[in-house]
Amino acid sequence: MQFEERQKERNSFSNRALVSFIIFTVLFLAVLGRIFYLQITTNETYLTAAESNRTYTVPVQSLRGKILDRNGNVLVGNKATFDLITIPAKIENLDAFLANIAEFLPISDKDLETYKKLFNSKAIYNRELVLLKDLTQAQIASFEVRSFRFPGAFVGKRYRRISEYPELFSHALGYTSRASATIASLPGIPSRNWRDAEFVYASGLISGQLGLEKIYDDSLSGSYGKKIYEIDARGRLYNLIKFEDGAPGEDLYTSLDLLAQQAAHEAIDGKRGAVVAIHLPTGSLNVLYSSPSFSINDFANGIDQQSFDAIIQDTNKPLFNRALKGRYPPASSIKPAIALYGLNANLTSWERTIEDPGFFILPEDGRVYRGWREGGHGSVDLTKAIVQSSNTYFFDLAYQSDINQLTTHLGNMGFGKSLCIDCFDEDPGLLPTPEWKYAQYNRGWFTGDTVNMGVGQGYILATPIQLAYYASLLANKGTARLPHFGSEPSPEIAAIETSNFNWSKLHKALELVVEGPSGTARRLSELKPFKVAAKTGTAELVSLDSKEAYAEIRSDVLQRDHAIIIAFGPIPNPEYAVSVVIENGESGGLVAGPVAVEVLKKLIEK
Amino acid sequence: MKFRIYGDWIITLCILMLTIFGLFFLYSASDGNTDTVIKQLAFIILGFILFFLIAQLDPENFRRLAYFSLAASFLLMLITALFGPEINGAQRWIRIAGLSFQSSELFKISLPLTMATFLQFKKLPISMKDTFFCLFIIGISALTVVIQPDLGTSLLVALSGLFVLFLAGLSWSFIGVTCGLLIIASPFIWNNLLRPFQKERILTLFNPESDPFGSGWNIIQSRIAIGSGGISGKGYGEGSQTHFNFLPETETDFIFAVAAEEFGFIGVLIILSLFLILSLRTLYFALNARDRFCRLVVGGLLLTFLFNLLVNISMVIGLIPVVGMPLPFLSKGGSSMITLFILFGIIMSIGTHKTLMQR
Repeated sequence: MQFEERQKERNSFSNRALVSFIIFTVLFLAVLGRIFYLQITTNETYLTAAESNRTYTVPVQSLRGKILDRNGNVLVGNKATFDLITIPAKIENLDAFLANIAEFLPISDKDLETYKKLFNSKAIYNRELVLLKDLTQAQIASFEVRSFRFPGAFVGKRYRRISEYPELFSHALGYTSRASATIASLPGIPSRNWRDAEFVYASGLISGQLGLEKIYDDSLSGSYGKKIYEIDARGRLYNLIKFEDGAPGEDLYTSLDLLAQQAAHEAIDGKRGAVVAIHLPTGSLNVLYSSPSFSINDFANGIDQQSFDAIIQDTNKPLFNRALKGRYPPASSIKPAIALYGLNANLTSWERTIEDPGFFILPEDGRVYRGWREGGHGSVDLTKAIVQSSNTYFFDLAYQSDINQLTTHLGNMGFGKSLCIDCFDEDPGLLPTPEWKYAQYNRGWFTGDTVNMGVGQGYILATPIQLAYYASLLANKGTARLPHFGSEPSPEIAAIETSNFNWSKLHKALELVVEGPSGTARRLSELKPFKVAAKTGTAELVSLDSKEAYAEIRSDVLQRDHAIIIAFGPIPNPEYAVSVVIENGESGGLVAGPVAVEVLKKLIEK
Repeated sequence: MKFRIYGDWIITLCILMLTIFGLFFLYSASDGNTDTVIKQLAFIILGFILFFLIAQLDPENFRRLAYFSLAASFLLMLITALFGPEINGAQRWIRIAGLSFQSSELFKISLPLTMATFLQFKKLPISMKDTFFCLFIIGISALTVVIQPDLGTSLLVALSGLFVLFLAGLSWSFIGVTCGLLIIASPFIWNNLLRPFQKERILTLFNPESDPFGSGWNIIQSRIAIGSGGISGKGYGEGSQTHFNFLPETETDFIFAVAAEEFGFIGVLIILSLFLILSLRTLYFALNARDRFCRLVVGGLLLTFLFNLLVNISMVIGLIPVVGMPLPFLSKGGSSMITLFILFGIIMSIGTHKTLMQR
C-alpha cells in the first residue's frame, strides 16, 4: 500500500472508531439518565414498591365480645382451648414425626389425611398447621414432657366460641362460623393476604352468621390487628417485624332473660313451637325461643357431616326460627283486635247481644261457618264472646266490616309487618287484602274471606313475635314499643285509639279468659300467684264441617290444630306480654297456656 | 537483550477494581455463599494470569493464529453439538476434566482476529466480493451459535466480526442499503422469524404491568430494585429485592441491579466510570496501534465490549427486552470471564508492543 493510501485508511479508521465511540457514549448517557430518573426522581415510588414487596401483612382477629343476658349471665363467650400446632418447615421427616406423636397422642385417620394433604404447601411457605385440636390437660402434659423431641411442634392457645347453654338461645343469638372470603379489606392488607390470617380462634377467622352474632357482628368483632412479616418472592415468611394489636370486640348486653328462656324451654318440652316475651315499658325481648333447637357450639366449632345431615333432615326442622319466621293463623287470638275495630266503627258495643246457635250462615250464599262448641253459646255479648271465644259473634262482626278498613286496622296492630329492630331475617307474616288476593289467586275478595278473618282463619298468618307485639299493644292500651334486644326503651308507636271505657272492658274480658269460671284458659288460674289476661286460639289447618271429621284427621299429628295463646300480666299493672304457639298442640288454653304462665312467672317473680 | 514486561497500569487497575467489586456483589447476591465467590475468584486469578501472559506476546502471534483459531472454534462447536450435555434445552458446553467451557466463547476471539487478518491489506473501500466473503464467515459463525440455541452470544459473535468489517472500511452505500432492507423486511422478521417467547419479551417491555407475575416480573422487579436504591443505596447486603429473591438472576445477568440497589446512584457512577476509563484507554490503543491489523482488532473488540455493556445495562433497567448477556467482569461465569481476560490480554499486548513507525 502506498503511503497516501495508508494515510487514508488510518483516517477512515479513526473517524469510524471515534464516531462509533461517541454514539456509544451518547447511548450510555441516555442509560445513565434513565438510571438517574429511576433512582433519584422516582426513588420514592420504588422504595414503596420494594417495601410492599418485602413485607407481608396478615390480619389478626381480636377476641370477639361476649353476649350476656339482662342479669349479666354470659350466654356465649370465648373459651381458651389448646391445640397441637406444628411448623412443617421445621419437620424433616414427616412420617417419623407423626409416628412419634402417635405414640402418646392418638390421631384419627381423618385428621391424619387432612394434615398430610396440607403439609407440603405449609412447609414451603413456612406457615403453621394444626395437627390436633382441643387437647385435654393430660394430653398437654404428655406432650410438654416430650416437647424437646419435637422442635417443630408446640401447644398453642386457640379460642373457641362456646355457650354454656348451647341449645337455649340458638335462634336469638345465631352462631359464628368461618368467615367467608368476602371480608371487607383493611387498609394496608390486600384481600389475598386474608388466607394467611393469624388465627386466634380454633376455627380460623370467624364472623356472625344469623341472629345477634350477625346483626351486631361489627361491634362484637372489634377491629383486626396486624402482623407484619418479612417475606421473600415465593411468599415464604421470615421474621415477624411488627405486631399491631386490634381493639377487642365489645360485649353485647341483651335484654334476654336466662331463667325465663329456660322456663320456656322446659315448659315447651321439645314440642314444635315458639315463645316470645316482651318487657312492656321498654319493648325489650326477654324470651325468644324456638323449639326444637340445635347446639350453636357445634355450628361454631365445626360440626361433622353426620350430625349436620341429621339436623338438616330432622322433620321437626330445628334450624327453622319459628319465633321470627313461623307463619301461623292467629285464630281466636285475633278476636280482641276485631272487637276493637267493631267498637271504633260503631258496628257493635259492649251491650249488644246476639244469639249464637253454634254457626253463622253467610246471607249471600247460605254457606255455614261453624263455632267450636256444638250448639253454640246462647245469648252472647262482646265480653262473653271474648271469654268463651264465640265464633258466631265475630263472624257476624266481621261480616259487617269493611275489609279495607279492617286490614288497615290490623296492620296498625303489627300484622303483616316486620317489627323487630335488631332481629335477623324476620318474616312479615301475611295480612291479606283484596289486591293481594287478586294478584295471588286472580280471584276477587269474597265476603266469606272477611268472615273467616274475623276469627283469625283464612289467609291471615302471623308470626309469634307479631303476636307478642300485639299482646303488648293490648296490654299497653293501644301503644306499643317495637321489639328489640336492647334494654333501653324503643320508640313508642301509638297504634290504636279508643275510649278508656273500651280498654278497661276489654282488659276485664281478657282477664276473665283466665280468671273467670267459663274462660277458655280458666285452668291456668291456679298455676300462678298473680292475675293474667290472655286470649287463646286454636288454629285450624284443615277446614272441616264437624267434630267427627276432625276426629278422623286427628290421627295425623301434623294436621292437628295449632295451639296459641297471647297473654300479659300481672293484672292490673301488666309488665310483660307473651305469645306462645305450639304446633299441632290442639288447645291454646291447655297446651300453650301453661308455657306462657311459666314464662310469666319467671319474669314477674325474678 | 533486556527483559521487559509488557503491561498497562490503567487497564490493569480498572479490571482489577471491577473484578473486586464483582466479587463483593456476588457475595451479596449469592446470600453469602463463599463457595460461589471462591470459585469466581479462582477464575479471576486464572484470568489475570492469562491476561498478563498474552500481553507479553507480540501481536504478530495473533495474526498467525487467527485462521487456526477460527478453525478450532468450528471444531469445538462440532464437538459440542456431538458430545455436549444438554442443559435446560440447550447444548452450549464442553466438559473437560470436570470443568465446563462454553465453546461459543472462542468465536469472540477468533472471529475478529480472522476478520482483521483477512482485511488488513484490502484497499478502501472494501470490495463487494470481500464484503460478501466476510459476511459469509460471520454468518456461519453466528449460525452455529444460534442453533445451540444461544441468541445473546451469537449476537455478540456476529457483531465482533461486523465491527471489524465496519472499521476496515465497509462502504457506506452498502451499510445504507442493508439498513434500508432491514427496515423493509422487519414486519416479515417479526411475523416469521421471531419465536413467540421472543415477541412476548419485546411486547412486555412496553407494558410490563400487563403480566406482573409472568413475563413482566423480571423487568418490574429489576426496576424496583434499581429505583429503590436511591442516591447511596440500601447498604451492602441490605437489598431486599436481592435477598428476598424478587430479583431474578442476581448472580449473572442482573448483577448490575444488585449493585444499583445496594450502592445506589453513586455505586452506578463508580462502575460506569471504571468502564469509561477502560474504554477510553482501549480507544487510545486502537487509534495508536502499530498497524492496520492491530487497529482493527482493538477497535473491533472495543465496540463489541461497549455493545455488550450497553445491552446488559439497558436490559436490566428495562430499556430493551431481556436477552441473556452477562455484564463484563461483574457477572458470575467462568467462560465469559476467561474470554474477557484473553481479549484484554490481546488489547494490552497490542497497546504495549509498539514499532518505531506507525503503519
